[in-house]
Amino acid sequence: MARDLNAPLFTAVSSSARQLFLLLRCISFASKAHVRVSPENIRFSVEETSVLEAFVFLSKSIFTTYTYQDDTSEHDLPEDAPPPPTFQISLPALLETLQIFTLGDLSKPSGDPYDTFAAHRLNRQANQPFSSTVLGTSGLCRLSYDGPGCPLSIHLSEAGVSTTCDLTTYEPESSSDIPFDRDAMALKTIMRATHLADAIAELASANPTTLTLLASPRAPFLSLSASGPLGSATVEFARDPQLLETFQCPQRFSQSYSFALVKAAQRAMGSANKVSLRTDEQGVLSLQFLIEVETGQAGAGEGIGFVDFRIVPLVGDENDTEDGERADSTDDD
Amino acid sequence: MAILSFSLSAEATARVHDLLLCLAKFGESVCLEARNDKLAITALNSSRTAYASFSLDPQTFFLEYEFSPHGPTATGRFTCQLYNKALLSVFKGRVVDARGRDTAIDRCDVSIEDQPDKTECRLVVKMICRHGVTKTYKLTYESMEVMHALFDKASAPNGWHISSRVLREYIEYFGPKTEQLDLLAKDGKIIFTSFTGKVMDGKEILKQPLETAIAMHIEDFEDFHAEEDMHVVISVKDFKAIVTHAEILKASLSAHYSRPSRPLQFSYQAHGMLCEFTLMTSGDYQGVSTQSTAPRIVSTRATSRQTSRAPSQAMNTKPTEMAPPARPPSKSLLGQRRTLSDMSQQQHSAPTQASPESESLFMPLGDDEERHWDPPDYDKEDGEEVLGWDASADNSLSTYPTLRDTGSHAASGWTQGRSRDSNTQGLEPTQRLSQFHGLFD
Repeated sequence: MARDLNAPLFTAVSSSARQLFLLLRCISFASKAHVRVSPENIRFSVEETSVLEAFVFLSKSIFTTYTYQDDTSEHDLPEDAPPPPTFQISLPALLETLQIFTLGDLSKPSGDPYDTFAAHRLNRQANQPFSSTVLGTSGLCRLSYDGPGCPLSIHLSEAGVSTTCDLTTYEPESSSDIPFDRDAMALKTIMRATHLADAIAELASANPTTLTLLASPRAPFLSLSASGPLGSATVEFARDPQLLETFQCPQRFSQSYSFALVKAAQRAMGSANKVSLRTDEQGVLSLQFLIEVETGQAGAGEGIGFVDFRIVPLVGDENDTEDGERADSTDDD
Repeated sequence: MAILSFSLSAEATARVHDLLLCLAKFGESVCLEARNDKLAITALNSSRTAYASFSLDPQTFFLEYEFSPHGPTATGRFTCQLYNKALLSVFKGRVVDARGRDTAIDRCDVSIEDQPDKTECRLVVKMICRHGVTKTYKLTYESMEVMHALFDKASAPNGWHISSRVLREYIEYFGPKTEQLDLLAKDGKIIFTSFTGKVMDGKEILKQPLETAIAMHIEDFEDFHAEEDMHVVISVKDFKAIVTHAEILKASLSAHYSRPSRPLQFSYQAHGMLCEFTLMTSGDYQGVSTQSTAPRIVSTRATSRQTSRAPSQAMNTKPTEMAPPARPPSKSLLGQRRTLSDMSQQQHSAPTQASPESESLFMPLGDDEERHWDPPDYDKEDGEEVLGWDASADNSLSTYPTLRDTGSHAASGWTQGRSRDSNTQGLEPTQRLSQFHGLFD
């Protein structure tokens, strides 16, 4: 099928702007996001000085309509395919746009009386059978992109009001992903994201600069520690199937990371359901968060989004590692 | 080898958090004192006018409690000081876990590693959570002597006892910007007046005067026995902190006091915690008792008791160089006032006060800024009632550093100090406290 020149290169319709917002909010620590559109998904990525990278994959399945027209369908060989369109947009502007209508948490009224009131005010017709809330058409969001040089156009409609925002796209910066070697893994574990969020919040109270991760096949299996001016804090995870769904660690391994970088993932930890925490033998930390988002459609169930973080370890701090081990050995006494 | 180790249940851990929050209102650091028979967590405010103490009972508050002093310098007690902020960050937010997060804590083990030959002396807190999550904190502490305020209930004839829930409702009405709280018993009621004076700097008004009075009938009290028309002034902030914490424990709050410028103590007890707050008071003692020889008592107690407590021997004697009576309910006759300068002189002569800091204790001497909004007649207060330091660092079990209420013990003479009033007078007070009237007067 040849490309229809009048149709946009890419369009996607989501029934809930809120779910896009919830996912993209997780990586909102940078001002520009790289967007890469492919036939299967749309990827948003942000990075911080090449030591921290975060991606959000919005897969085809969370959109009600997802069309991507390109010339490559004529080619059978994938290597002939031109690189998928990539551009940069302003992430804060995108997030602002997505929450133009979502004043309160419409789908899940919270206990906050103001939110409840705001939701009520917006959904005064909610009791009517054909209201948009009941039909699940509130917060309808349509993304479209015509091609290089064109703006990313976002069309939102809710309760009979619709808005179209055109976000300027920028030329992509040439950036390479942080390499993560899936074949040489030093640690692989899957746990509930709240456990990790809880641990990071505990450690954050000491106002530390570095976070030390220690994994070992024996107890303590997994420990996160940090120290600040008033003392040090360590959170240890035992190998309890309730706690660590999977735990693979061939040998003792310890690595330090910048605490500020790990904290960038805190919002994702807070909203995620599960996290897969992996490090390769180089020490690169990969945190993959599984986030369940309601699709906004009645009966459609929950969609799943993935947010990925990659963090480069701190190097040349042999002393720190030794300190951590020494402190650890006194613990065992 | 730990010098002190104890374990807390999840509920007790939450209670430690509550008490730390309360102590945070008094000072930014807390002192720990461990003994065989109790663990005391205390705080003294920076102006040394308020002292808060929580004594935890080893049998009822803790799951386990082991105190094993060792080494040649073992003294039977261990004292140290920590930043409250550090402790709060360790004990913080355990309440939040009530919403069913599955890493709620099971128990909390605390130990203090204190070995002179090791470099790492730390307070180690281990939070053992469900599913095998262990959170370990190692906090640095400062080894130092702890000061305690002693309060002699026997010399505090006035007092009341009330459910903290009732008071908790009323403290909401005290304006957030008010600083002082005046307690006055009158006509079968107690009147709590929170107020702040007007503070001017040239023509600029720095503080607007504000006053809120709440009158409560003494029938609302479980027990009430206080001298009528006596103004006792404490800090609103302290009072709020105390009532708020007492209400969390659902305890009944007791107050004991004697007169203005003498310390006042609030206390309550629950769940193996004895909570005591010793506050310095100021205020006006020139009420009815200056005219009539025997002060009238507002009391819910039986009449027989009341008459027995009313002092029969009115102190009509001329002020002379004599020792004060042990029971001072009526001794503030017109001439028996002393100046601040007398007071400080006396402090120096008092044998129990070895520390040079004693002047500042519970008595902001010569601090003009403090006195702008103080109630009137500050300079006419009876001077011998001072809290003193007992900071003789005697390490025997029986004596330990205390802030001692030397009021009724100091055997010092009475002098006529009216002539020296001008020496110490700062600013003239703008309004007599006795001119304040509550809404329901």
